Amino acid sequence: MEGMVGLGLRRDIAEEILNRGTLSPDFLEFAPENWMGMGGTWKRVLDQAVERFPITCHGLSLSLGSPEELDWNFIRELKVFLDENQVKIFSEHLSYTKSKNAHLYDLLPIPFRRDAVDHVVDRIRKVQDMLERPVAIENVSYYTPVAAEMSEIEFVNQIVDRADCRLLLDVNNVYVNAFNHGYDAREYISQLPLNKVAYIHMAGHEQVEPDLIIDTHGRPIIDPVYELFEWTIKKMDPVPVLLERDYNFEDTEQIQSELNQIRALIKKHWRVEHESA
Amino acid sequence: MNLREETREIQEKLGEYCRSGEEPELPGISPGRIHHYRRLVQNVVKDTLDTAFPITLSALGEDAWALLVSDFFTAGLPQTPQVWKLPFEFYRYHAEQETGKRIQREYLDDLLLFEWMEIEVHTMPDREYPEFVEKGNLFLDRLAFNPEHEIVQLEYPIHTHPVNQALDKKGDYFALLYRLPESGNVKFLALSPLNTYIFSRLLEAERPLNEIKGEFARLAGIESGRYLDEALEKFFQDLMDRELILGFLKD
Repeated sequence: MEGMVGLGLRRDIAEEILNRGTLSPDFLEFAPENWMGMGGTWKRVLDQAVERFPITCHGLSLSLGSPEELDWNFIRELKVFLDENQVKIFSEHLSYTKSKNAHLYDLLPIPFRRDAVDHVVDRIRKVQDMLERPVAIENVSYYTPVAAEMSEIEFVNQIVDRADCRLLLDVNNVYVNAFNHGYDAREYISQLPLNKVAYIHMAGHEQVEPDLIIDTHGRPIIDPVYELFEWTIKKMDPVPVLLERDYNFEDTEQIQSELNQIRALIKKHWRVEHESA
Repeated sequence: MNLREETREIQEKLGEYCRSGEEPELPGISPGRIHHYRRLVQNVVKDTLDTAFPITLSALGEDAWALLVSDFFTAGLPQTPQVWKLPFEFYRYHAEQETGKRIQREYLDDLLLFEWMEIEVHTMPDREYPEFVEKGNLFLDRLAFNPEHEIVQLEYPIHTHPVNQALDKKGDYFALLYRLPESGNVKFLALSPLNTYIFSRLLEAERPLNEIKGEFARLAGIESGRYLDEALEKFFQDLMDRELILGFLKD
Protein backbone atom coordinates (compact mmCIF):
# COMPACT_ATOMS: atom_id res chain seq x y z
CA MET A 1 0.00 0.00 0.00
CA GLU A 2 3.04 2.33 0.14
CA GLY A 3 2.36 5.55 -1.71
CA MET A 4 -1.35 4.83 -2.13
CA VAL A 5 -3.87 7.60 -1.48
CA GLY A 6 -6.98 6.63 0.45
CA LEU A 7 -10.25 8.15 1.54
CA GLY A 8 -12.42 7.65 4.61
CA LEU A 9 -15.47 5.56 3.75
CA ARG A 10 -18.52 7.47 4.95
CA ARG A 11 -22.09 6.55 4.17
CA ASP A 12 -22.69 9.88 2.46
CA ILE A 13 -20.05 9.18 -0.19
CA ALA A 14 -20.19 5.38 -0.44
CA GLU A 15 -22.21 5.59 -3.64
CA GLU A 16 -19.76 8.08 -5.16
CA ILE A 17 -16.86 5.75 -4.43
CA LEU A 18 -18.35 2.34 -5.09
CA ASN A 19 -20.79 2.90 -7.92
CA ARG A 20 -20.49 6.29 -9.58
CA GLY A 21 -16.71 6.43 -9.61
CA THR A 22 -16.69 10.17 -9.03
CA LEU A 23 -14.29 9.64 -6.15
CA SER A 24 -11.35 7.38 -6.89
CA PRO A 25 -9.14 6.57 -3.92
CA ASP A 26 -6.59 3.73 -3.96
CA PHE A 27 -7.72 2.40 -0.59
CA LEU A 28 -10.46 2.98 1.96
CA GLU A 29 -10.49 3.52 5.69
CA PHE A 30 -13.39 3.26 8.08
CA ALA A 31 -14.07 3.31 11.79
CA PRO A 32 -14.88 -0.28 12.83
CA GLU A 33 -17.31 0.98 15.47
CA ASN A 34 -19.52 2.43 12.74
CA TRP A 35 -19.85 -0.86 10.85
CA MET A 36 -19.38 -3.72 13.32
CA GLY A 37 -22.41 -5.93 13.85
CA MET A 38 -24.37 -4.47 10.98
CA GLY A 39 -26.34 -6.31 8.35
CA GLY A 40 -28.61 -5.17 5.57
CA THR A 41 -27.75 -2.29 3.27
CA TRP A 42 -24.64 -1.20 5.12
CA LYS A 43 -23.20 -4.71 5.29
CA ARG A 44 -23.54 -4.92 1.52
CA VAL A 45 -21.74 -1.60 1.13
CA LEU A 46 -19.00 -2.78 3.47
CA ASP A 47 -18.61 -6.08 1.62
CA GLN A 48 -18.38 -4.26 -1.69
CA ALA A 49 -15.73 -1.90 -0.30
CA VAL A 50 -13.69 -4.77 1.14
CA GLU A 51 -13.90 -6.72 -2.10
CA ARG A 52 -12.70 -3.84 -4.24
CA PHE A 53 -10.22 -1.87 -2.11
CA PRO A 54 -7.39 -2.44 0.33
CA ILE A 55 -8.72 -1.51 3.78
CA THR A 56 -7.39 0.27 6.84
CA CYS A 57 -9.39 0.75 10.02
CA HIS A 58 -9.25 3.72 12.36
CA GLY A 59 -10.69 2.99 15.80
CA LEU A 60 -12.67 5.45 17.89
CA SER A 61 -13.55 3.77 21.16
CA LEU A 62 -10.67 1.72 22.57
CA SER A 63 -9.98 4.67 24.86
CA LEU A 64 -6.31 3.79 25.22
CA GLY A 65 -5.64 6.66 27.60
CA SER A 66 -8.64 6.09 29.82
CA PRO A 67 -8.51 5.45 33.56
CA GLU A 68 -11.18 2.78 32.88
CA GLU A 69 -10.44 -0.89 32.34
CA LEU A 70 -10.05 -1.95 28.72
CA ASP A 71 -13.25 -3.36 27.25
CA TRP A 72 -12.10 -6.89 26.46
CA ASN A 73 -15.39 -8.03 24.98
CA PHE A 74 -15.28 -5.17 22.53
CA ILE A 75 -11.62 -5.86 21.68
CA ARG A 76 -12.47 -9.52 20.99
CA GLU A 77 -15.26 -8.47 18.64
CA LEU A 78 -12.93 -5.97 17.03
CA LYS A 79 -10.36 -8.67 16.31
CA VAL A 80 -12.95 -10.80 14.55
CA PHE A 81 -14.07 -7.81 12.51
CA LEU A 82 -10.52 -6.85 11.50
CA ASP A 83 -9.75 -10.42 10.49
CA GLU A 84 -12.98 -10.86 8.54
CA ASN A 85 -12.43 -7.68 6.58
CA GLN A 86 -8.77 -8.28 5.79
CA VAL A 87 -7.74 -5.02 7.39
CA LYS A 88 -4.17 -4.11 6.47
CA ILE A 89 -3.53 -1.49 9.15
CA PHE A 90 -5.39 -0.76 12.37
CA SER A 91 -4.95 2.55 14.14
CA GLU A 92 -6.33 4.27 17.23
CA HIS A 93 -6.12 7.69 18.83
CA LEU A 94 -3.74 8.67 21.57
CA SER A 95 -6.59 9.98 23.70
CA TYR A 96 -9.41 8.78 25.92
CA THR A 97 -13.12 8.51 25.22
CA LYS A 98 -14.44 6.82 28.35
CA SER A 99 -14.42 8.03 31.92
CA LYS A 100 -16.27 7.09 35.12
CA ASN A 101 -18.01 4.23 33.40
CA ALA A 102 -19.45 6.41 30.62
CA HIS A 103 -18.51 6.66 26.96
CA LEU A 104 -18.09 10.22 25.73
CA TYR A 105 -17.81 9.69 21.96
CA ASP A 106 -15.08 12.27 21.40
CA LEU A 107 -11.36 12.43 21.95
CA LEU A 108 -10.22 13.89 25.26
CA PRO A 109 -6.58 14.82 25.85
CA ILE A 110 -4.49 12.55 28.07
CA PRO A 111 -2.37 14.47 30.59
CA PHE A 112 1.25 14.44 29.36
CA ARG A 113 2.54 12.74 32.48
CA ARG A 114 4.97 9.94 33.27
CA ASP A 115 2.36 7.73 34.92
CA ALA A 116 0.07 8.25 31.94
CA VAL A 117 2.89 7.08 29.65
CA ASP A 118 3.29 3.91 31.73
CA HIS A 119 -0.45 3.37 31.72
CA VAL A 120 -0.93 3.86 27.98
CA VAL A 121 2.15 1.81 27.05
CA ASP A 122 0.84 -1.12 29.09
CA ARG A 123 -2.59 -0.87 27.46
CA ILE A 124 -1.29 -0.59 23.90
CA ARG A 125 0.83 -3.69 24.46
CA LYS A 126 -2.15 -5.61 25.79
CA VAL A 127 -4.35 -4.52 22.89
CA GLN A 128 -1.69 -5.47 20.35
CA ASP A 129 -1.36 -8.90 21.97
CA MET A 130 -5.11 -9.45 21.87
CA LEU A 131 -5.53 -8.19 18.30
CA GLU A 132 -2.41 -10.09 17.20
CA ARG A 133 -1.34 -7.14 15.09
CA PRO A 134 0.51 -3.86 15.61
CA VAL A 135 -1.54 -0.79 16.36
CA ALA A 136 -0.67 2.57 14.83
CA ILE A 137 -1.20 5.37 17.34
CA GLU A 138 -2.39 8.73 16.07
CA ASN A 139 -1.08 12.03 17.39
CA VAL A 140 -4.39 13.74 18.16
CA SER A 141 -5.25 17.41 17.98
CA TYR A 142 -5.89 18.98 21.38
CA TYR A 143 -7.15 22.36 22.45
CA THR A 144 -5.60 22.62 25.88
CA PRO A 145 -2.94 20.63 27.69
CA VAL A 146 -4.13 19.22 31.02
CA ALA A 147 -1.79 18.93 34.02
CA ALA A 148 1.21 18.29 31.79
CA GLU A 149 4.57 17.24 33.22
CA MET A 150 6.30 16.92 29.87
CA SER A 151 5.95 18.19 26.31
CA GLU A 152 3.63 16.61 23.76
CA ILE A 153 6.55 15.36 21.66
CA GLU A 154 8.16 13.68 24.69
CA PHE A 155 4.84 12.06 25.55
CA VAL A 156 4.22 10.71 22.04
CA ASN A 157 7.78 9.52 21.52
CA GLN A 158 8.02 7.72 24.85
CA ILE A 159 4.80 5.87 24.15
CA VAL A 160 5.64 4.86 20.60
CA ASP A 161 9.10 3.73 21.68
CA ARG A 162 8.09 1.76 24.75
CA ALA A 163 4.85 0.27 23.45
CA ASP A 164 6.60 -1.05 20.35
CA CYS A 165 3.71 0.22 18.27
CA ARG A 166 3.49 2.11 14.98
CA LEU A 167 2.68 5.77 14.52
CA LEU A 168 -0.17 7.22 12.49
CA LEU A 169 1.19 10.63 11.65
CA ASP A 170 -1.67 13.09 11.26
CA VAL A 171 -0.04 16.03 9.52
CA ASN A 172 -3.09 18.23 9.92
CA ASN A 173 -3.10 17.56 13.66
CA VAL A 174 0.53 18.61 13.90
CA TYR A 175 -0.35 21.83 12.10
CA VAL A 176 -3.40 22.41 14.35
CA ASN A 177 -1.47 21.73 17.54
CA ALA A 178 1.49 23.87 16.49
CA PHE A 179 -0.93 26.74 15.81
CA ASN A 180 -2.95 26.25 18.99
CA HIS A 181 0.02 25.79 21.31
CA GLY A 182 2.61 27.96 19.62
CA TYR A 183 5.28 25.52 18.55
CA ASP A 184 7.09 24.84 15.31
CA ALA A 185 5.39 22.08 13.33
CA ARG A 186 8.52 21.11 11.38
CA GLU A 187 10.62 20.97 14.52
CA TYR A 188 7.97 18.68 16.03
CA ILE A 189 7.93 16.33 13.05
CA SER A 190 11.73 16.27 12.95
CA GLN A 191 11.70 14.77 16.42
CA LEU A 192 9.24 11.97 15.59
CA PRO A 193 10.45 8.45 14.79
CA LEU A 194 9.47 8.70 11.12
CA ASN A 195 10.67 5.15 10.48
CA LYS A 196 7.74 4.00 12.65
CA VAL A 197 5.07 5.79 10.67
CA ALA A 198 2.57 3.25 9.34
CA TYR A 199 0.63 5.83 7.39
CA ILE A 200 -0.32 9.49 7.22
CA HIS A 201 -3.60 11.32 7.70
CA MET A 202 -4.44 14.57 5.94
CA ALA A 203 -7.54 16.67 6.61
CA GLY A 204 -9.10 20.10 6.69
CA HIS A 205 -9.87 22.10 9.81
CA GLU A 206 -11.68 25.20 10.99
CA GLN A 207 -10.30 28.27 12.73
CA VAL A 208 -12.91 29.23 15.34
CA GLU A 209 -11.00 31.91 17.26
CA PRO A 210 -7.98 34.06 16.40
CA ASP A 211 -5.74 31.66 18.30
CA LEU A 212 -7.67 28.40 18.03
CA ILE A 213 -8.20 25.84 15.28
CA ILE A 214 -10.61 22.93 15.69
CA ASP A 215 -9.87 19.71 13.83
CA THR A 216 -13.22 19.30 12.08
CA HIS A 217 -12.44 17.23 8.96
CA GLY A 218 -15.14 19.28 7.29
CA ARG A 219 -13.23 21.60 4.98
CA PRO A 220 -10.62 21.37 2.25
CA ILE A 221 -7.00 20.99 3.26
CA ILE A 222 -5.30 24.39 3.38
CA ASP A 223 -2.03 25.15 1.58
CA PRO A 224 0.17 25.33 4.71
CA VAL A 225 -0.89 21.76 5.56
CA TYR A 226 0.03 20.60 2.04
CA GLU A 227 3.37 22.36 2.47
CA LEU A 228 3.96 20.62 5.80
CA PHE A 229 2.99 17.32 4.21
CA GLU A 230 5.41 17.84 1.30
CA TRP A 231 8.19 18.80 3.69
CA THR A 232 7.47 15.68 5.76
CA ILE A 233 7.30 13.09 3.01
CA LYS A 234 10.68 14.18 1.69
CA LYS A 235 12.10 12.92 4.97
CA MET A 236 10.54 9.47 4.96
CA ASP A 237 9.97 6.31 3.02
CA PRO A 238 6.67 5.83 1.20
CA VAL A 239 3.61 4.95 3.29
CA PRO A 240 -0.12 5.11 2.54
CA VAL A 241 -1.73 8.55 2.88
CA LEU A 242 -5.36 9.04 3.77
CA LEU A 243 -7.69 12.00 3.27
CA GLU A 244 -10.16 12.31 6.15
CA ARG A 245 -13.47 14.03 5.46
CA ASP A 246 -16.35 13.71 7.92
CA TYR A 247 -18.74 16.49 6.83
CA ASN A 248 -19.64 18.63 3.82
CA PHE A 249 -19.58 16.04 1.08
CA GLU A 250 -21.57 18.04 -1.46
CA ASP A 251 -18.63 19.04 -3.61
CA THR A 252 -17.17 15.69 -4.64
CA GLU A 253 -15.07 17.32 -7.37
CA GLN A 254 -13.29 19.31 -4.72
CA ILE A 255 -12.69 16.18 -2.60
CA GLN A 256 -11.33 14.38 -5.65
CA SER A 257 -9.06 17.35 -6.34
CA GLU A 258 -7.63 16.98 -2.82
CA LEU A 259 -6.92 13.31 -3.52
CA ASN A 260 -5.24 14.36 -6.77
CA GLN A 261 -3.14 17.00 -5.05
CA ILE A 262 -1.89 14.51 -2.45
CA ARG A 263 -1.21 12.03 -5.24
CA ALA A 264 0.80 14.61 -7.18
CA LEU A 265 2.99 15.37 -4.17
CA ILE A 266 3.57 11.68 -3.54
CA LYS A 267 4.49 11.15 -7.17
CA LYS A 268 6.86 14.11 -7.06
CA HIS A 269 8.80 12.88 -4.06
CA TRP A 270 8.30 9.19 -3.54
CA ARG A 271 8.37 8.00 -7.14
CA VAL A 272 11.92 9.37 -7.43
CA GLU A 273 12.96 7.45 -4.33
CA HIS A 274 11.39 4.27 -5.71
CA GLU A 275 13.20 4.63 -9.01
CA SER A 276 16.55 5.31 -7.41
CA ALA A 277 16.16 2.49 -4.90
CA MET B 1 -2.83 0.17 37.36
CA ASN B 2 0.06 2.51 36.54
CA LEU B 3 -2.02 5.66 36.78
CA ARG B 4 -1.63 7.82 39.89
CA GLU B 5 -4.83 8.69 41.72
CA GLU B 6 -4.25 12.37 40.96
CA THR B 7 -4.01 11.77 37.21
CA ARG B 8 -7.09 9.57 37.27
CA GLU B 9 -9.05 12.29 39.09
CA ILE B 10 -7.95 14.93 36.59
CA GLN B 11 -9.09 12.78 33.69
CA GLU B 12 -12.37 11.97 35.38
CA LYS B 13 -13.05 15.64 36.15
CA LEU B 14 -12.67 16.53 32.48
CA GLY B 15 -14.94 13.66 31.44
CA GLU B 16 -17.52 14.61 34.07
CA TYR B 17 -17.47 18.21 32.88
CA CYS B 18 -18.19 17.11 29.31
CA ARG B 19 -21.29 15.27 30.54
CA SER B 20 -22.64 17.55 33.27
CA GLY B 21 -21.31 21.00 32.41
CA GLU B 22 -20.04 21.64 35.94
CA GLU B 23 -16.76 23.38 35.25
CA PRO B 24 -13.89 21.77 37.16
CA GLU B 25 -10.67 23.21 38.48
CA LEU B 26 -8.00 21.55 36.41
CA PRO B 27 -4.28 22.28 36.66
CA GLY B 28 -2.31 23.47 33.66
CA ILE B 29 -5.11 24.17 31.22
CA SER B 30 -5.32 27.03 28.72
CA PRO B 31 -8.03 29.51 29.78
CA GLY B 32 -11.25 29.40 27.80
CA ARG B 33 -10.45 26.22 25.94
CA ILE B 34 -12.01 23.26 27.72
CA HIS B 35 -15.56 24.28 26.85
CA HIS B 36 -14.78 23.17 23.30
CA TYR B 37 -14.51 19.59 24.58
CA ARG B 38 -17.93 19.76 26.17
CA ARG B 39 -19.36 21.34 23.02
CA LEU B 40 -17.87 18.64 20.76
CA VAL B 41 -19.00 15.78 22.99
CA GLN B 42 -22.51 17.22 23.35
CA ASN B 43 -22.75 17.74 19.57
CA VAL B 44 -22.02 14.09 18.87
CA VAL B 45 -24.64 12.91 21.36
CA LYS B 46 -27.28 15.44 20.32
CA ASP B 47 -26.79 14.77 16.59
CA THR B 48 -26.99 11.02 17.13
CA LEU B 49 -30.20 11.20 19.17
CA ASP B 50 -31.85 13.91 17.05
CA THR B 51 -31.28 11.81 13.96
CA ALA B 52 -32.52 8.61 15.59
CA PHE B 53 -35.74 10.06 17.04
CA PRO B 54 -37.11 12.73 14.69
CA ILE B 55 -40.76 11.96 15.51
CA THR B 56 -40.24 12.05 19.27
CA LEU B 57 -38.29 15.29 18.97
CA SER B 58 -41.07 16.82 16.94
CA ALA B 59 -43.77 15.54 19.32
CA LEU B 60 -42.07 16.86 22.47
CA GLY B 61 -40.65 20.08 21.07
CA GLU B 62 -37.03 21.25 21.20
CA ASP B 63 -36.97 22.31 24.86
CA ALA B 64 -38.50 19.17 26.37
CA TRP B 65 -36.37 17.03 24.08
CA ALA B 66 -33.18 18.84 25.11
CA LEU B 67 -33.98 18.07 28.76
CA LEU B 68 -34.36 14.36 27.97
CA VAL B 69 -31.04 14.30 26.12
CA SER B 70 -29.28 16.20 28.87
CA ASP B 71 -30.76 14.03 31.63
CA PHE B 72 -29.71 10.85 29.84
CA PHE B 73 -26.19 11.97 29.07
CA THR B 74 -25.56 13.34 32.56
CA ALA B 75 -26.97 10.41 34.52
CA GLY B 76 -27.32 7.58 32.03
CA LEU B 77 -23.72 6.26 31.81
CA PRO B 78 -23.61 5.31 28.12
CA GLN B 79 -22.04 1.88 27.82
CA THR B 80 -21.88 1.13 24.13
CA PRO B 81 -18.61 1.83 22.31
CA GLN B 82 -20.66 2.12 19.11
CA VAL B 83 -22.38 5.48 19.04
CA TRP B 84 -25.06 4.34 16.59
CA LYS B 85 -26.36 2.02 19.31
CA LEU B 86 -26.68 4.91 21.77
CA PRO B 87 -30.37 5.50 20.85
CA PHE B 88 -31.23 2.09 22.32
CA GLU B 89 -29.60 3.04 25.62
CA PHE B 90 -31.48 6.34 25.51
CA TYR B 91 -34.78 4.48 25.08
CA ARG B 92 -33.94 2.01 27.86
CA TYR B 93 -32.85 4.75 30.26
CA HIS B 94 -36.06 6.73 29.89
CA ALA B 95 -38.19 3.59 30.11
CA GLU B 96 -36.47 2.65 33.39
CA GLN B 97 -36.79 6.18 34.73
CA GLU B 98 -40.48 6.28 33.73
CA THR B 99 -39.82 9.65 32.15
CA GLY B 100 -42.98 9.46 30.03
CA LYS B 101 -45.15 9.33 33.14
CA ARG B 102 -43.19 12.11 34.81
CA ILE B 103 -43.61 14.52 31.89
CA GLN B 104 -47.17 13.36 31.22
CA ARG B 105 -46.35 11.96 27.79
CA GLU B 106 -47.25 8.35 28.50
CA TYR B 107 -46.64 7.38 24.89
CA LEU B 108 -42.92 8.24 25.22
CA ASP B 109 -41.68 4.66 25.73
CA ASP B 110 -43.63 3.40 22.74
CA LEU B 111 -42.48 6.17 20.46
CA LEU B 112 -38.81 5.80 21.41
CA LEU B 113 -39.04 2.03 21.08
CA PHE B 114 -40.72 2.20 17.69
CA GLU B 115 -38.19 4.68 16.30
CA TRP B 116 -35.31 2.61 17.69
CA MET B 117 -36.74 -0.58 16.17
CA GLU B 118 -36.70 1.01 12.74
CA ILE B 119 -32.93 1.47 13.19
CA GLU B 120 -32.55 -1.98 14.73
CA VAL B 121 -34.33 -3.76 11.88
CA HIS B 122 -32.46 -1.73 9.26
CA THR B 123 -29.05 -2.53 10.74
CA MET B 124 -29.48 -5.92 12.44
CA PRO B 125 -27.14 -8.70 11.30
CA ASP B 126 -28.36 -10.58 8.23
CA ARG B 127 -30.55 -13.58 8.99
CA GLU B 128 -30.52 -16.75 6.96
CA TYR B 129 -33.22 -16.84 4.31
CA PRO B 130 -35.11 -20.12 3.87
CA GLU B 131 -34.96 -21.99 0.58
CA PHE B 132 -38.25 -21.40 -1.16
CA VAL B 133 -40.17 -21.67 -4.40
CA GLU B 134 -42.47 -18.94 -5.68
CA LYS B 135 -45.43 -21.11 -6.65
CA GLY B 136 -47.53 -23.03 -4.17
CA ASN B 137 -50.78 -23.20 -2.25
CA LEU B 138 -51.33 -20.81 0.66
CA PHE B 139 -53.26 -23.41 2.66
CA LEU B 140 -51.54 -26.67 1.76
CA ASP B 141 -47.88 -25.69 1.55
CA ARG B 142 -45.58 -24.42 4.29
CA LEU B 143 -44.93 -20.72 3.98
CA ALA B 144 -41.46 -19.21 3.66
CA PHE B 145 -41.29 -16.07 5.78
CA ASN B 146 -38.90 -13.17 5.39
CA PRO B 147 -36.72 -13.79 8.48
CA GLU B 148 -35.68 -10.14 8.81
CA HIS B 149 -38.53 -8.83 10.91
CA GLU B 150 -39.43 -7.99 14.50
CA ILE B 151 -42.80 -7.65 16.21
CA VAL B 152 -43.19 -4.81 18.67
CA GLN B 153 -45.95 -4.60 21.26
CA LEU B 154 -47.16 -1.08 22.05
CA GLU B 155 -49.58 0.45 24.54
CA TYR B 156 -50.44 3.43 22.36
CA PRO B 157 -51.06 3.40 18.60
CA ILE B 158 -48.24 5.85 17.85
CA HIS B 159 -47.52 3.96 14.62
CA THR B 160 -50.97 4.61 13.16
CA HIS B 161 -52.06 7.90 14.77
CA PRO B 162 -50.52 11.30 15.48
CA VAL B 163 -49.24 11.15 19.06
CA ASN B 164 -51.77 13.68 20.39
CA GLN B 165 -54.57 11.40 19.18
CA ALA B 166 -52.88 8.21 20.38
CA LEU B 167 -52.86 9.20 24.04
CA ASP B 168 -56.51 8.36 24.75
CA LYS B 169 -56.40 5.04 22.88
CA LYS B 170 -54.42 2.93 25.36
CA GLY B 171 -54.66 -0.76 24.53
CA ASP B 172 -52.77 -3.67 22.99
CA TYR B 173 -51.19 -2.84 19.65
CA PHE B 174 -48.69 -4.68 17.54
CA ALA B 175 -46.41 -3.51 14.76
CA LEU B 176 -44.47 -5.80 12.49
CA LEU B 177 -41.28 -4.13 11.25
CA TYR B 178 -39.46 -5.81 8.41
CA ARG B 179 -36.54 -5.32 6.06
CA LEU B 180 -37.14 -5.63 2.35
CA PRO B 181 -34.89 -8.27 0.78
CA GLU B 182 -33.57 -6.21 -2.15
CA SER B 183 -33.43 -2.60 -1.02
CA GLY B 184 -32.82 -3.21 2.70
CA ASN B 185 -35.43 -0.52 3.45
CA VAL B 186 -37.58 -0.94 6.54
CA LYS B 187 -41.38 -1.00 6.40
CA PHE B 188 -43.95 -1.71 9.04
CA LEU B 189 -47.40 -3.21 9.20
CA ALA B 190 -49.92 -2.64 11.98
CA LEU B 191 -51.27 -6.02 13.14
CA SER B 192 -54.34 -6.86 15.19
CA PRO B 193 -53.70 -9.12 18.22
CA LEU B 194 -55.33 -12.04 16.32
CA ASN B 195 -53.19 -11.54 13.21
CA THR B 196 -50.10 -11.22 15.40
CA TYR B 197 -50.94 -14.58 16.95
CA ILE B 198 -51.57 -16.19 13.56
CA PHE B 199 -48.34 -14.83 12.12
CA SER B 200 -46.25 -15.91 15.13
CA ARG B 201 -47.91 -19.31 15.38
CA LEU B 202 -47.34 -20.17 11.73
CA LEU B 203 -43.76 -19.04 11.93
CA GLU B 204 -43.16 -21.17 14.99
CA ALA B 205 -45.11 -24.24 13.84
CA GLU B 206 -43.63 -24.49 10.32
CA ARG B 207 -46.77 -26.34 9.28
CA PRO B 208 -49.26 -25.64 6.48
CA LEU B 209 -52.05 -23.22 7.28
CA ASN B 210 -54.73 -25.88 6.83
CA GLU B 211 -53.26 -27.94 9.68
CA ILE B 212 -53.53 -25.19 12.27
CA LYS B 213 -56.25 -22.87 11.07
CA GLY B 214 -58.71 -24.60 13.42
CA GLU B 215 -56.78 -23.02 16.32
CA PHE B 216 -57.34 -19.61 14.84
CA ALA B 217 -61.03 -20.24 14.37
CA ARG B 218 -61.42 -21.26 18.01
CA LEU B 219 -59.45 -18.22 19.17
CA ALA B 220 -61.53 -15.87 17.05
CA GLY B 221 -64.76 -17.65 18.02
CA ILE B 222 -65.82 -18.33 14.44
CA GLU B 223 -66.58 -21.38 12.35
CA SER B 224 -63.62 -22.80 10.43
CA GLY B 225 -65.23 -22.29 7.09
CA ARG B 226 -65.28 -20.14 4.03
CA TYR B 227 -65.30 -16.86 5.96
CA LEU B 228 -62.11 -17.78 7.82
CA ASP B 229 -60.43 -19.03 4.64
CA GLU B 230 -61.20 -15.79 2.86
CA ALA B 231 -59.90 -13.70 5.77
CA LEU B 232 -56.70 -15.77 6.01
CA GLU B 233 -56.17 -15.69 2.26
CA LYS B 234 -56.54 -11.91 2.24
CA PHE B 235 -54.12 -11.50 5.17
CA PHE B 236 -51.48 -13.82 3.74
CA GLN B 237 -51.78 -12.40 0.24
CA ASP B 238 -51.10 -9.00 1.77
CA LEU B 239 -48.01 -10.42 3.50
CA MET B 240 -46.84 -11.86 0.16
CA ASP B 241 -47.33 -8.53 -1.58
CA ARG B 242 -45.23 -6.90 1.13
CA GLU B 243 -42.48 -9.55 0.74
CA LEU B 244 -43.04 -10.70 4.32
CA ILE B 245 -43.89 -14.06 2.84
CA LEU B 246 -41.35 -14.91 0.20
CA GLY B 247 -43.04 -18.01 -1.18
CA PHE B 248 -43.30 -21.66 -0.13
CA LEU B 249 -40.72 -23.76 1.68
CA LYS B 250 -38.97 -26.40 -0.36
CA ASP B 251 -39.79 -29.84 0.95
